[in-house]
Amino acid sequence: MSLIQGIHHYCIGLSYLCALLLELARLFWPGKGWRVAGLVFGAAGLFAHTAYLLFNQPSPAVPYGSLLILAWVLALFYLYGTVHHAKQAWAVFVLPVVLGLVVASRLLLTATPDTTAFDAAGWLAGDRFWGAVHGVLILLASVGVSVSFLASVMYLIQARRLRKKLAPASGVPMLSLERLETMNRRALNVAFPMLTAGLFLGSILLPEAYAFGDNWLSLKVLSTLGLWVVFLVLLYLRYGAHVPARRLAVFSIVAFALLLVALVAAHPYAVGGAK
Amino acid sequence: MNLRAIGCNVESAAVELREKLAFDAAKTQKALAELNARFAAEAVVLGTCNRVELYVSRAETVAPLHVPLMAEFLAELHGLSDSAIAPHLYEHADAAAARHLFRVAAGLDSVVIGESQISAQVKEAFETAQQQTATGPLLNALFPAALRVSKRVRSETGVAQGHVSVASAAVDFVRQVFSTLTDKTVLVIGAGEMGRLTLNHLVELTPAAVLVTNRSPEKAADGARECGGRAVLWDQLDDALVQADIVLSTTGAPEPIVSRKRFDANVRRRRAGRTLLVFDMAVPRDFDPAIHDGDAVSVFNVDDLARVADARMAERRRHLPAAEGIVESEVAKFVTEWNKRANGPVIGQLTAEVDRVRDAVIAPLLEKLNGRLTDADKAYIEGAFRLFQSRLLHGPIAALHEASREGHSGGLREALMKLFGLKG
Repeated sequence: MSLIQGIHHYCIGLSYLCALLLELARLFWPGKGWRVAGLVFGAAGLFAHTAYLLFNQPSPAVPYGSLLILAWVLALFYLYGTVHHAKQAWAVFVLPVVLGLVVASRLLLTATPDTTAFDAAGWLAGDRFWGAVHGVLILLASVGVSVSFLASVMYLIQARRLRKKLAPASGVPMLSLERLETMNRRALNVAFPMLTAGLFLGSILLPEAYAFGDNWLSLKVLSTLGLWVVFLVLLYLRYGAHVPARRLAVFSIVAFALLLVALVAAHPYAVGGAK
Repeated sequence: MNLRAIGCNVESAAVELREKLAFDAAKTQKALAELNARFAAEAVVLGTCNRVELYVSRAETVAPLHVPLMAEFLAELHGLSDSAIAPHLYEHADAAAARHLFRVAAGLDSVVIGESQISAQVKEAFETAQQQTATGPLLNALFPAALRVSKRVRSETGVAQGHVSVASAAVDFVRQVFSTLTDKTVLVIGAGEMGRLTLNHLVELTPAAVLVTNRSPEKAADGARECGGRAVLWDQLDDALVQADIVLSTTGAPEPIVSRKRFDANVRRRRAGRTLLVFDMAVPRDFDPAIHDGDAVSVFNVDDLARVADARMAERRRHLPAAEGIVESEVAKFVTEWNKRANGPVIGQLTAEVDRVRDAVIAPLLEKLNGRLTDADKAYIEGAFRLFQSRLLHGPIAALHEASREGHSGGLREALMKLFGLKG
């Protein structure tokens, strides 16, 4: 138990950093050893990450907790992708995001040391059940937006190569444009209903806890609403206006930026307290 | 090791000579049988369009096979003059022969560096020789090692990455854009050779449909029949362009057949943002380059593809030092292991023989001194003899290992066996 207690953001971040460096080394000196070593460090990071979350149970309603939980889901996504797309430089794109989230989480914890724990049993049994559902839906939507962001970044790099007519096999190996576009589309198609349902629940729950104006105009609520609007625009551009995928990718990146603002901003529940 | 790699390749012999030296199944069978019977050699015959090589190994007690003898052998087999063959043959001995085979199998000795076919050809040559029981312990160890090296080089370096011909470079672009062709349509415009070559590569990716159009309906029908596609009338070109995902264009038209104006007016909107890849192989070009937007529509001409092919070749060359490094380490490993295998029994026999002589000397001595020596004295005398023995043998055994590392331990092994009266 004391070993798990000793796990910090540093252990998690360093493991992911080593995995990233090993993956980068693989780009310059192709060899199976780099990949295996990278996977070992990545898996070690995920283990430490999981242990930290289980032991500390940070609340997803506090910024540091939400970032750390999102980073954990993306770390799973990284491991899955690295195993299933062995030839692609998957980790080179996913791990910086995971690392960034872990670092941001640490900085937020240092700046506002709110270590509110997530009492899962209490939430599921008590009157906060719908609040928990709201949180889970928003988290799933966040994962979708993050995956869409990663696919969009890769898409833009791949598309730039095509536009410049660069040798396809040169540089960082990536999935085809078609595959990346499909990944982006699916991620958004899954994320939008989640976000809509999460926001809907939130809008029902919020007036129960606060008077209008107290927290309705908080950065978190506004940025989440902004994210939802960007989603609507994205869906229209994709299915209504048939806008080229490159422009959709740019919108997906904007959506991710809004998501980060929403996650970093303080939650009305966490700062205001219920009536 | 008494191994020789003797043969010729594109650098040492003109295609006319290589054609005359080519091995069909019957000649391969005959050559393997003759090499076994006449020269008591284990052998593998490797014949490809770029090389004809014999890998032969004999017992270390006999003289190695060499170029004049093999030139005579090949001349007799193919009905040629040996003087016409010998100047074009090269010879690699022992470790150098192993290195040559490893480089050949890995595609490092090929015209197109890293080409993949050669590995399969080496495997086939070895299997053919094995089936005819023409191989022995050395070649049975050498060829599987060569195939392992080939695999290592291809997976651990970039010497085999990407396509290096103009026609196949198009496939790299297709793979960059599409994850599968099973739901895609390929449109072939015209009947140029380059288009046909590129289509051959694309057909391997099993597209859903191939459309062929030509100003001449007959030529379109012929082209469609050849590739299992469907002919489209020339005046339906715009509709075909709307339907297509990949276009290969190789007409001999003096002016572009698809201007930007025509494309924007009749095709672009109807495609609803779907991705289109155009490979314009014609000179003069068939598609206005202004159509290329690098997003919904990408147009590549012959120069673009040639540039990519050249870049791929340069990229492969960049990985050559790493690949050669793998070959060198594998050659050293193979030679050491092989010699260990060959030295082991000799060293074992040598040690046993000297043990026997030592016991034969010590036993009477101790018997003669019986009663005058304590157990400690006896142990001391025995120890002294053992020390003498190990110091005596250290020199020959170390020299044998040293010669093994350098790849020529056969003579020394023979000498040791004769000097110490060992049985082979």
